[in-house]
Amino acid sequence: MKFPRSGIRIAAVAGALLLAVAATSSHAQGTIKLINVNELSGAGATVGTNFKNGADLAVADINAKGGILGQKVEISHYDTQSNAGTARAQVQKALDENPYAILGPNFSGLVKATAPLVKNAGIAQVMGGEAGELTQMGMPSLFRTSFGQQSSMPKIAKYIADDVKAKSVAVIWVNNDFGKGGRDAIVKDFGARGVKVVADISTESGQADFSADVQKIKQAKPDAVFIYLNEEESARILREIKRQALNVPLLGETTLLSQKVIDLAGDAATGVKGHVGLTTDANIPLVQDFRKRFVAKYNYVPDHNGLKGYIAVYMIKAGTEKIGKVDRKGLSDALHGLSINAKAEPGVLMDVSIDKNGDIDRESFLGEVVNGKQVITKTLPKLNP
Amino acid sequence: MTPRARLIGIAAAACLVAILLFLPLGLNTYGLFILSMWAVMSIAAMGLNLTLGYAGQVSLAQGAFVGIGAYTAALLTINGYSLALAFAAAALLCFAVGWLLGYPALRVQHHYLAFVTLAFSTLAYLVFRNEEWLTKGIYGISGVPRPAALGIDLAKPLPFYYFCLAILAVVVVAVWWLVKSPWGRAFVAIRENPLRARSLGVNTSRYTLLAFAIGSGLGGIAGALYAPLVEFVDPSPFTLLLSLNLLMMVIVGGSGYFAGPLLGAIIAVLLPEWLRAIQSYYLILYALLVMAILMWSPTGILGIADAWLERRRSIARSRALAEKTPTLASGEDA
Repeated sequence: MKFPRSGIRIAAVAGALLLAVAATSSHAQGTIKLINVNELSGAGATVGTNFKNGADLAVADINAKGGILGQKVEISHYDTQSNAGTARAQVQKALDENPYAILGPNFSGLVKATAPLVKNAGIAQVMGGEAGELTQMGMPSLFRTSFGQQSSMPKIAKYIADDVKAKSVAVIWVNNDFGKGGRDAIVKDFGARGVKVVADISTESGQADFSADVQKIKQAKPDAVFIYLNEEESARILREIKRQALNVPLLGETTLLSQKVIDLAGDAATGVKGHVGLTTDANIPLVQDFRKRFVAKYNYVPDHNGLKGYIAVYMIKAGTEKIGKVDRKGLSDALHGLSINAKAEPGVLMDVSIDKNGDIDRESFLGEVVNGKQVITKTLPKLNP
Repeated sequence: MTPRARLIGIAAAACLVAILLFLPLGLNTYGLFILSMWAVMSIAAMGLNLTLGYAGQVSLAQGAFVGIGAYTAALLTINGYSLALAFAAAALLCFAVGWLLGYPALRVQHHYLAFVTLAFSTLAYLVFRNEEWLTKGIYGISGVPRPAALGIDLAKPLPFYYFCLAILAVVVVAVWWLVKSPWGRAFVAIRENPLRARSLGVNTSRYTLLAFAIGSGLGGIAGALYAPLVEFVDPSPFTLLLSLNLLMMVIVGGSGYFAGPLLGAIIAVLLPEWLRAIQSYYLILYALLVMAILMWSPTGILGIADAWLERRRSIARSRALAEKTPTLASGEDA
């Protein structure tokens, strides 16, 4: 009988580990404690690490200027491992420590898994998820840092229908919650605008070979192609499209026009057009200054998730200063309906308004890749100026 | 086993049960969640231990069965069916699918079988992700309720933890009975020498299928607990990674040892949480620790304990033998 024989060992190891779980941490009085629960390992590691670094930079900036209402800001980062169960555990752990607000997660699925807990705790959750439905779930504690896909996709769909004048389009997307959310939103909008989707192609995250997919697009003979993939995959498909000599307008949303994709795709990225919601390539002095300081600190150019993390902390700062006191239960109410002017609060980088659902509104851009650089061709006004 | 060793073993097990019963009273909600997750993963790993540890059938599909169980429970409870029905449905469905998956095991063995089950695991993930009409696809099913069981409201973390613990206790007793029954002995016989087992009249085909089916059924029960615990089910936790993680729990704890999965689940679920204190290096240290354990003892943690006890017994036997046998000196005296 092996169970009782090894029982002493099991009990000793189990006891030690269980007691370790019971240990709780405390934080100093007089500081504002933020906890970022984000994807620091697993499939979302790049996304979450950018967000984390952006948030750290914001906290350092704010503390260097005296903190929020004279109180220093303290930030901790908990790793979701890009897994819903772990995300829930980490948000639970964060809430047990009575933070002022929660930052993250970035994966929309993980936001859905954790938002009810934060709502019950009555504090604000400023996250990076972009799925349209997140702000339609009746979660008054939830705030975006970028456009939801329900806001960004109509802009690019309108551009494809009205400016590119495409009557038919191929949509190629990555089959995760980011890609599927974008695909569903834009296909719906294409339908409303009378643009026919002649090819609807799902791809895998990390996919290396796009030759068959491009072949399918060629056979469908679309007027334009809408590409909604991660950065590396975006570059791979652009190279494959060039190799197979597919000559139709190539359009995307934010990622496709990012500098990383342009660098990876080389010549193949030339002529790509699209809508850019939040980018460190935007020719805005505050954004460029952020980018310069980020690169100086971390030695790489951040993607839009770095901007999200930075802006998230400054949204919390602006909300708190609106209340005039550090009030964790009052922060959500303060953020609803708040308009933050970048002149008054440069940390938000661009003027931003937050609506009653936690969606944000700000200017965005139409861009094109010219000579290995993203060039902004048009600035689109706020949806509700 | 000596009566003293048996007594110590029972006392240690009683201590562990006391810790599991009373420690949570002083834990915060995070600690309760982690312990509940330990109970869930222990059940799934015990199922895999039956298939792999006792019956010797390598399976990389246990994570998929946890997923099938989780989706079954989520879909049923969200549509108003009781948790008891969800458990029964999850266990039966996984038992049936596990039985069918067992058929390839009658034809292929070892790493070939691992590849067959790996393919099943990938297939299950694709069904969870792509069959949107049923599973809500990549968006997942949110708002999975924690219904009452036996009139007890399970919404709060502490009652739900005790519920998980109760289910784990039932599974432990059932598996204990199973491995001591003729079925359990037949599983071990198939693992050790299938030809000899068959020559002794063991229906190896039936018992191989049973080992798969029962192990998978336990995976389904674990999944049926996972859904209300996390209150959200999406495809991402049920990739091949979960199957590999469960395999690691069984091997690190001690494959083929009854308590191995319980200990392995502590290593897999609690140890990373404990190591989070060292921030961004925690997963690296965790991986190194697991590798160190397996390099030190390829038979897992209980293998170390077993080897130590065996050495002590061997020394005791030698000593007893030496005392009984006349020594060289006494022989000369005679």
